Amino acid sequence: MRRPSITASSVLQALADGAQYGFDVIDRTGLPSGTVYPALSRLERDGYVRSTWEDEDEAHAEGRPARRYYRLTAPGVRALAEATSHYRSLLPALGIKPVRGRT
Amino acid sequence: MARFDLAIVRLAAPVVPDDIRRDWRREWEAELAFEHQRGRGAAALAVRALGAVAHACWLRQDRWRWDVLWHDIKYAARTLLKRPSFMIVAVLSLAIGIGANAAIFGAVRAVLLRPLPFPAPDALVAVSTTTLERPDVPGGSSTPPDFTDWRRDLRGFVEMAAVVAGASALTGDGPAEQVPSANVTGGFFGVLGVPALYGRALEPGDDPVGAPDVAVLGHALWQRRYGGRREVVGSTITIDSQPYRVVGVMPAGFAYPLGADLWVPQRFSEEDLRTQRGAQYLDVIARLAPGATVAQARDEMRAYARRLAEQYPRTNHDRTIALHPMREALVGDVRPALLLLLGAVGLVLLIVCVNVANLVLTRALGRRREWAVRTALGAGRARLVRGLLVESGLIAVVGGLAGLVVAMWIARLLAALEGSVDIPLLDQTRVDGPVALFTIAVSGLAAAAFGTLPAWQASKNMDVARGIREEGSATTGDHRRQRLRGALIVAEAALAVVLLVGAGLLMRSFIGLVAVDLGFTRERVQTFNLSLPEPAYPTTAARSAGVETLLSRVRAHPQVEAAGAIFGLPLTNFGYVISMSTLDDRTLDDEESMERSVQVRVVTPEYFRAMGIPIRRGRTFGEEDRLGAPPVVLVNETAAARLWPDQDPLGHSFTIGTRMGQGDTRAGGVVIGVAGDVRDGGPARVVRPTVYLAHAQRPVNFLTIVVKTRTDPGPLVPTLNGIVTALDPNLPIYRVRTMEQLAMDAVAQPRLFLMLLAVFAAAAVMLAAVGIYGVMAHAVSQRTREIGLRLALGAGRGTVLRMVVGQAMTLAVVGLALGMVGAMASGRLMRGLLFGVEPFDLPTFLAAGAAFGGVALVASALPALRASRVDPVEALREP
Repeated sequence: MRRPSITASSVLQALADGAQYGFDVIDRTGLPSGTVYPALSRLERDGYVRSTWEDEDEAHAEGRPARRYYRLTAPGVRALAEATSHYRSLLPALGIKPVRGRT
Repeated sequence: MARFDLAIVRLAAPVVPDDIRRDWRREWEAELAFEHQRGRGAAALAVRALGAVAHACWLRQDRWRWDVLWHDIKYAARTLLKRPSFMIVAVLSLAIGIGANAAIFGAVRAVLLRPLPFPAPDALVAVSTTTLERPDVPGGSSTPPDFTDWRRDLRGFVEMAAVVAGASALTGDGPAEQVPSANVTGGFFGVLGVPALYGRALEPGDDPVGAPDVAVLGHALWQRRYGGRREVVGSTITIDSQPYRVVGVMPAGFAYPLGADLWVPQRFSEEDLRTQRGAQYLDVIARLAPGATVAQARDEMRAYARRLAEQYPRTNHDRTIALHPMREALVGDVRPALLLLLGAVGLVLLIVCVNVANLVLTRALGRRREWAVRTALGAGRARLVRGLLVESGLIAVVGGLAGLVVAMWIARLLAALEGSVDIPLLDQTRVDGPVALFTIAVSGLAAAAFGTLPAWQASKNMDVARGIREEGSATTGDHRRQRLRGALIVAEAALAVVLLVGAGLLMRSFIGLVAVDLGFTRERVQTFNLSLPEPAYPTTAARSAGVETLLSRVRAHPQVEAAGAIFGLPLTNFGYVISMSTLDDRTLDDEESMERSVQVRVVTPEYFRAMGIPIRRGRTFGEEDRLGAPPVVLVNETAAARLWPDQDPLGHSFTIGTRMGQGDTRAGGVVIGVAGDVRDGGPARVVRPTVYLAHAQRPVNFLTIVVKTRTDPGPLVPTLNGIVTALDPNLPIYRVRTMEQLAMDAVAQPRLFLMLLAVFAAAAVMLAAVGIYGVMAHAVSQRTREIGLRLALGAGRGTVLRMVVGQAMTLAVVGLALGMVGAMASGRLMRGLLFGVEPFDLPTFLAAGAAFGGVALVASALPALRASRVDPVEALREP
């Protein structure tokens, strides 16, 4: 599998940081919705992300429709780790000092 | 409140693939509802919902099976390469069609579309003085006082400049050499907006009489003569025997007007401005003020021209001003011809497409079995059609690439032509980005044109069982398909006939042009230009003596039959029309004076003999017609008939106002002879009334020497040059041409158009013939059994021959008739390009019809012969 792009990596990172829904990811990454959703669909197609539907009753109890929520799969976690270390290794070349990441 | 975000989601929903559409919509609506509940504004929601559009598109494109398409391409390539003859024919004809289109488009772009090589070229205009009678004809020169008034008073322009193109002799710092130059007023470089590469360009400060004599060098001249040394700026060079200080060098590529390589100031003295309101010799260019339109500026100038006409009725009463965008002024009259050519290559491409469509169709017939098998094995119809389209696309791509190569080749050919063909900017023709883009678009269109029809045909009534069974055993072929192919042949024939008639009309017109008697003998006449710099030849006597000495030395050469000189050689676009002031001692009023304007030439006595121009009455100038003797003139037949209708012109007299020579501004005299008419402006132009002044009486310092030789004049040129140099080493000769060359050049443009159109027509006819042959050959091969049966039942071979030829000729004749109608319809477009031929020229139509009929007959005879040679036994035994 190809290494996730920077965009895809930030989507993965957002999910790893606890985002659950598409709009959460948008809010956390600051990327536009037209970028985040195709990225999510692609990551799901490639097996890095799995999506499930929220329980209808639970949602209705809160007076809103059920939402689709996303989480990382094991390959997704690995791909994120690999991508993070790769992009971090590029930083010195850009003249940026690497900082300790959260992962 | 309306929820825009939900509307967006609803609109984008159909794009999403069916099976996931419900979930997709559910998710987006849920997320938006959640945000809505959280109190997010309608605008923010709508922006977020736009992402749904991108998402939907992504999901849709993700479904396209790129791997399947790739497979189709590989499959198509394999099938095409398996039988390369089809591929080669299709690609070659596409290459010709697309290549010709791209190249002609390249020429159109260079000449008509690409911005001129100056900053903000749309603001550049050419200003010309015209007559009220024909106010919009570009190119009329203007007078110094008019120009000075315009420049002072008109507000619609940033800057305005006057230009006098010419040639100057460079001497002193190397071999004497004549370079194309221009006298320009100080605003010239400002109008064009091009700064100097080194030093400075000319400026308005250089305009006053008495300011230092300065010059600006062109890049080419600077490189060639001064080795690209920057120190030349500031140094003094000798131009026309006069010292000039070089103040600047222009960047490479700047060569306006007409390849100029040296610019010096054009200055007007107080006296010039007082006396020259009748002297039209300035070309005026201007840059419009920001925001001003050509129409506005034209209105302003026309109003101003009316004021000048009131103020100076004697000279300006009939004058007005025309304003044209600079490009239009440069290329005006080539436009219709170029567009006609573009139309013609378009037709050729159309024929190519029809032909390739026919080929694809023929192939499709032969592949019915393959498709039937594939269908039987489960291939969808869509898949088969897509396969066909991919094949067509592949052919178009390869054909387009080959076409690009052809285009580059033709473009280089066209660009190389500019020297001999007078089409400005043609040398700029090249295959660049936009032309390549045009090629891609044309190839795409072509693929759509020749690919869709067969694909559509193939997609219809695919009867699997019949397809598998049927191959090779058809008796009469598939009627509907046969009819479609017949229709294609008719279309092809019609298009080819339109082009053939067009080429035929141009050919008739060209033959007419060449046959025109120009009024002089063009064989063995060598000419070259000479200018006598005023400082070295200050007096009229000195000039006259210099030329006389030169001519007598030339005449002394044993190979020379006659030698003369003229100011204003025929076929060199030399104007010089001056209005008449008195006729037979009667002073003419303004109107009459304009009406009686004549073209003025200055000649030495032997000019007429050297050119073979007959003296119809009286005599030519003689030794006795010297300075101081009574002034005498010759007139041409047209002038004689115009000025003194039904009278003997000899002994009559007239004077004209002129600015030639110093002092006396009147010229004229008693008519001593009538010379034969000469078509000065070329074969298609009318003969203008012309008067000839004697050089001995009105010497000028710019002349063309005309030498009639006993043998081929070419080898004599170095000798002639030697004679000039021996007389004065500082006199360069330039524009060395024979009258034969000039006569050829005068028809170079129509010849080029004729050649191109003839090539296109020939290609079209050949393609149509190939088309007819292909269809008939295929029909015959399909009907071998039927023909065998007929022969076995007693039909004669002649009958079979007639049957096949008859079918082909029916198609050809229908196409021919349609083509004739098309040719008549398009004839109107050609009128302006024709000379001496009507667009509905019956002989041309008949000849074109006969030619096409003949070709069609040959094309159909070959398959017909094959049909008539069918062996009935063999044909019937075949399964």
